[in-house]
Amino acid sequence: MTDSATHVGSVAELQEELRGVGYLAERGLATAAFIGLRLGRPILLEGEVGVGKTELAKCLAAIHGRELIRLQCYEGIDTHQALYEWDYARQMLQVRALSEHELTDASTVGGLYGPDFLLERPLLQAIRSGGNAVLLIDEIDRADDEFEAFLLELLSDFQITIPEIGTVAAEDRPIVVLTSNRTRELHDALKRRCLYHWIGYPSLAEEIEIVRVRAPQVAEQLAEQVVQAVHRLRDLDLAKPPGVAETLDWVEALGVVDAETLDAQSATDTLGSVIKDRDDVEVVTSDLDRVLTD
Amino acid sequence: MSAEVAPPETAERGPNESGTGEGGIVERLVEFGHALRAHDLPVGPADVLNFCEAANELSVGDPVDLYWAGRSTLVHRRDHLPVYDEVFRQFFLGIAPPKKNEETAEKPVPQGQTGVLDVPDSEGGEEQGDDQPLVLGLQASGVEVERNKRFDACTEEELAAVRRIIKRTRLQPPLRQTRRRAPDPKGRTFDIRRMTREAMRLSQDRGELRMMSRKVRPRPIILLLDISGSMADHSRNLLQFAYSMNRAAQKVEVFCFGTTLTRITPALNRRSPDDALRLAAERVFDWDGGTRIGASLDEFVRTYARRGMSRGATVVICSDGLDRGNPILLSEALERLARLSHRIVWMNPLFADATHGTPNTLAMAIAAPHLDAVETGHDLASLESFAVRLAEIG
Repeated sequence: MTDSATHVGSVAELQEELRGVGYLAERGLATAAFIGLRLGRPILLEGEVGVGKTELAKCLAAIHGRELIRLQCYEGIDTHQALYEWDYARQMLQVRALSEHELTDASTVGGLYGPDFLLERPLLQAIRSGGNAVLLIDEIDRADDEFEAFLLELLSDFQITIPEIGTVAAEDRPIVVLTSNRTRELHDALKRRCLYHWIGYPSLAEEIEIVRVRAPQVAEQLAEQVVQAVHRLRDLDLAKPPGVAETLDWVEALGVVDAETLDAQSATDTLGSVIKDRDDVEVVTSDLDRVLTD
Repeated sequence: MSAEVAPPETAERGPNESGTGEGGIVERLVEFGHALRAHDLPVGPADVLNFCEAANELSVGDPVDLYWAGRSTLVHRRDHLPVYDEVFRQFFLGIAPPKKNEETAEKPVPQGQTGVLDVPDSEGGEEQGDDQPLVLGLQASGVEVERNKRFDACTEEELAAVRRIIKRTRLQPPLRQTRRRAPDPKGRTFDIRRMTREAMRLSQDRGELRMMSRKVRPRPIILLLDISGSMADHSRNLLQFAYSMNRAAQKVEVFCFGTTLTRITPALNRRSPDDALRLAAERVFDWDGGTRIGASLDEFVRTYARRGMSRGATVVICSDGLDRGNPILLSEALERLARLSHRIVWMNPLFADATHGTPNTLAMAIAAPHLDAVETGHDLASLESFAVRLAEIG
């Protein structure tokens, strides 16, 4: 815990460091991250799709020179996929080999449950790496309730007990970032362990700045045009409004087709990079003029 | 992290601008926590402690820092942010809140009153009120009022029916395969883990095969209940049905709609059915108002289904299909919903009537192509049989 604490001096410094790796964090997000780092607490990020929840974890790893360990959650995830599992196939082969050669003294049998046969999954990796890791638990809302409860226990003391080996504890806590798309409400108990921050869409100026930092090769005028268009898209009644990730995709796509300005032709050609729902495409196409010009 | 040390530190290091004595700032921070609690935010002592620790890391004199420190430690849900903002403004910046809380926020429901507030039907054009919607049949009530109908208006028979449903309904939710596997002699995959364990326990490999197969689990169920005037006779029963479903199946989400959509799942998660139904009734504000099926479904699709709530789920819409809204909106919403969910079932009590044997309303005609099944659900028996047959549908 002390390790991470020494790295960040102030909110402004953290903001500056994040900016250095291409992540523009607004004051609130930077403060939440700063407090999380200083107090050694997990950071829970919620927000619309494509606003940079996952990206923050990557950038925190980058600025602290830590390894990013990612646990992607999904329905039905359990400890075997998240924590550790024994390599049963290898154990089986070992048993066969042992019984053929009749080598059954205590040490060889005990070896079956040694580190050689243990498959580390992200959570165990994170505990082992401790202060050298950033643990990203992505889309926690997709996992089941029971898994959340298990995670709660793990996040509070960062140690687990493997019956055959013993207790593994983290010397320094890893930085933990959880993200959720709010497909369901998380348990309050888990939320209490974490610092909570809702990431909204950035303002026009902020988003132009983001494009500048992430895609410096893009002409200023084009960047402004695209961001303005995306903001108008968000005002339209779309099923899936574009996030910041889509803005960046769009700018990149326009770069690939060598477009210098955003006009009706280039916008139609590259619309697929920003609008990803057929109904939405229809809405936007019928209203394209209004999206491109005020 | 030592909890006991932090608050005094805060006091020492805080800028102490207006001569606040030892511990003054901590007291102020704690008071703020209490103020939030007074506004119904669930702020526990641990949260306040976190807040103090967080403030300690920042400069307490800067309101912006203080704001964000509090926001990330004391607030755990997005819905609570407006309240937090309000209390913060009031508490630290001394800005009075706009006068409105008394009327909207907490209007106590008078005890024992059945809660039928008669609001004159002032919406232009339509001549009929709530009095005979079922007879008029094909047009929904034009009244858009927010009313709160209480469950203690139930008759004795109805209450008996509630208990019967809750006791008897053996809901069989549709099942789906999961990624997990469980031992199964008839399974088609080798259970190597179990074989290894056995081999090691017996110190030899007996060569017996162990099999496993995918586990199944219930599909989520989403109930969308029409509680508009024309459905008034049924909506109470449906709500009771929703409650028993919520008890029986693992994942059930319940929404009510009339002119607007309200999520009442949290209210139904009570142990006592009476409490649950009372809470649910309080939550729904447009009890017995008009119906806008299209707009309500559209809202459901946009706010919930799009985020994945209905993925793989069986969606049950209970409505008589007397829609006052835009038919195109309904068509689009249903089409989207059909793509975002596993099955859609429409329960329409009007179908039980001989005179209403076919999809006779515009809304039903529009909906028909997107539905996987149409049910009646007009009385207890049909509800019960539906609960059982749900498994076959999905």
